[in-house]
Amino acid sequence: MSERPSLWWIDWRLSHGPLVRETIGRFLFFFLLGAALLSLLLSGGVSRFLAERYAVTAVLRAEVPSAEAEGLARKVASLPAVRSAAYRDAEAAWKEFLRAYPDPDPLRGPGGNPMPGYIEIRIRPDRFTGEDIDPVVSALRSVPLVERVLAGEEWLPRLLRAGRIASWACWGIFGAFVAGFFLVARLQERARAVASAVDFAFLAERGVSTGRLAFFRAAAAAVSGFLLAAAGTAAGGGALFLSLRKFPFLERVIGPPSDLLLPRTVAGALLFSCGAALLSAAVSLIGWRAARSGRK
Amino acid sequence: MTPGIRRILSAFLAAVVSLAILLPSGAPAARDIAAELRKERGRLLEMKDREEKTVRELTEALRNEKRSKGRVDALRDRLKRQKSLLSRIDRKISVLNERLDRAEKAVRELEAAHGQARSDLQRAEVAAFVGLRAGTGAPWRPSVRERERHFMRVYLVAGAEGIDRITRARERKTEELTGLERQVAVTEKKRTSEKKVGDSLLSRQEEERRRLADIERAKKRKQEELKSLRAKIARMESVVSRVERQVKERELRARRRGAGGSAARAPDGDPRRFASLSGGLSAPLAGKVVTRFGRQRDTTFDVTIENRGVEIEAPSGASVKSVGQGEVAFAGAVSGFGNVLIVQHGGGLFSVYGRLDTFLVKHGEAVKKGTVVGRLPGSPSGKSVLYLELRAGGTAIDPTSVIPLER
Repeated sequence: MSERPSLWWIDWRLSHGPLVRETIGRFLFFFLLGAALLSLLLSGGVSRFLAERYAVTAVLRAEVPSAEAEGLARKVASLPAVRSAAYRDAEAAWKEFLRAYPDPDPLRGPGGNPMPGYIEIRIRPDRFTGEDIDPVVSALRSVPLVERVLAGEEWLPRLLRAGRIASWACWGIFGAFVAGFFLVARLQERARAVASAVDFAFLAERGVSTGRLAFFRAAAAAVSGFLLAAAGTAAGGGALFLSLRKFPFLERVIGPPSDLLLPRTVAGALLFSCGAALLSAAVSLIGWRAARSGRK
Repeated sequence: MTPGIRRILSAFLAAVVSLAILLPSGAPAARDIAAELRKERGRLLEMKDREEKTVRELTEALRNEKRSKGRVDALRDRLKRQKSLLSRIDRKISVLNERLDRAEKAVRELEAAHGQARSDLQRAEVAAFVGLRAGTGAPWRPSVRERERHFMRVYLVAGAEGIDRITRARERKTEELTGLERQVAVTEKKRTSEKKVGDSLLSRQEEERRRLADIERAKKRKQEELKSLRAKIARMESVVSRVERQVKERELRARRRGAGGSAARAPDGDPRRFASLSGGLSAPLAGKVVTRFGRQRDTTFDVTIENRGVEIEAPSGASVKSVGQGEVAFAGAVSGFGNVLIVQHGGGLFSVYGRLDTFLVKHGEAVKKGTVVGRLPGSPSGKSVLYLELRAGGTAIDPTSVIPLER
């Protein structure tokens, strides 16, 4: 009875040195790509950045008591699209106004503080769309305590459009990197297949079918791709976590580190790893075929 | 003529009446006494003229003094009121000046505040413009910038309203200031006018005081003169009394010779003798006794006067009736008493009516009780005075003791 040799990890046995180098390179690449992916998932492109900069201001009437204003702020905070609603009294408004204008002397007239109190409403980054903001603004305008609502009607559509474009650009860059990975990996797979062509021919002469060989090579590439992507994404997530902890200002752009452990983030990372596995398998097959046909 | 002078004159009148009574009934043999009486009468008349003149002058001086004192008092009162008024005006001016100062200060402060507010507003507008151009605040926070711009608008509106408020307040204060200035001007003018009035009153008061001093000197001089005359008159009265006594003694002697022992009834001043007149006595007219009989104190001259009759105040032009039956013994003018009528009732009883205007009976005419013998003179005040004297045996008696007169 003739014993059939195992074809798992055949490349590892035939091209140990190049494969180690490729593996290290791919890990680093997946590390960067995973970190970028997680950042994109957390930030929603530039939504978090823009949501952090955008706020709806409900200017209250001068005679509104603080207790009523705070009650209104609590009610507003309970709206689905609202991330936070903070009441600032007239004194805080006056200080903010004085801070905004560098020459406060002429502004300190004998008439006292003319500023009214206001409620600053922040929108959730994942709900930072015109459809979610409009109901909040409409609701505020119908409140008698509110004198005026400053929601940036003039510039908000432009801001949202710019945000969408920026988000698409971010994802486009991410996709370009993935495509680049595909091309580089294909070349590597082809080169390795060409380099091992003598060995594969030897195996073929001894009855190992070409299809089976290609399958096992692709399967090994998928497994290794998944593992490398998962490990790289995990490492990238860890690095991102540390960065967010060390540089809190990044939270305003990316998000809080705790969001890294959210199920949707983990699911996204797993999907990315699966995608990487499929891509690795596809690259292995395409490289094998290219090597067999003699194409570049 | 004052009551004091009238009282002094009444003393003279008494002497004259005595003489007038005694002379027609005197004995023809006593030529020396008659001559003496004529001589004394002449002297007495001369002295009376002088006394009358002095009294007139003194009366005039007293009237002038009274008028002058009245004027001085009135001027003093007016000056006091004037000073009080000036003081009030000064206080008012002081209060107005204080209010004026406060209003001026307020206007100055408001003007400064207005200028400052305008300047601040302009600077704020510049700051707003510069801020708008330079993107004041956080450029990456459009909402914050929008809020800051809104706050700047709120501030600018508040600043403009503040300027409006200050402008209105300044206008109100300016109007108040103008009103106060007008009030001060009017009050100052009034003060100047009242000051002039006060000065004029002061000069008039000084003038009146000088006149009063002159009058006082004249009065003193006349009083001295009157005092001297009164002394002379007193002496004269003693002379007349002496003569009267001599006449009485002569009458008594003659009665003794004619009626034997029946003349033992000596005439005396018993009022009851008047009551025994046939038909009784009645009031000469309806009126009130204003000068009483007997010793009276004259406060004007600070002397005691012996009144020998009474003065009855009655309406001007009233008819004077005889108090009883008798015969007119004398009807003529007596210095100081005007027209005097004397009715002899017999038995040494006489009634004397002085200050008459006209006589309605003649000397020697018989009158009955109630016969109208004369009328009182007219007077602007509507009141005149009748001098009534009753004499019994050469002694004046109180008419109110025998005639019912209103006191």
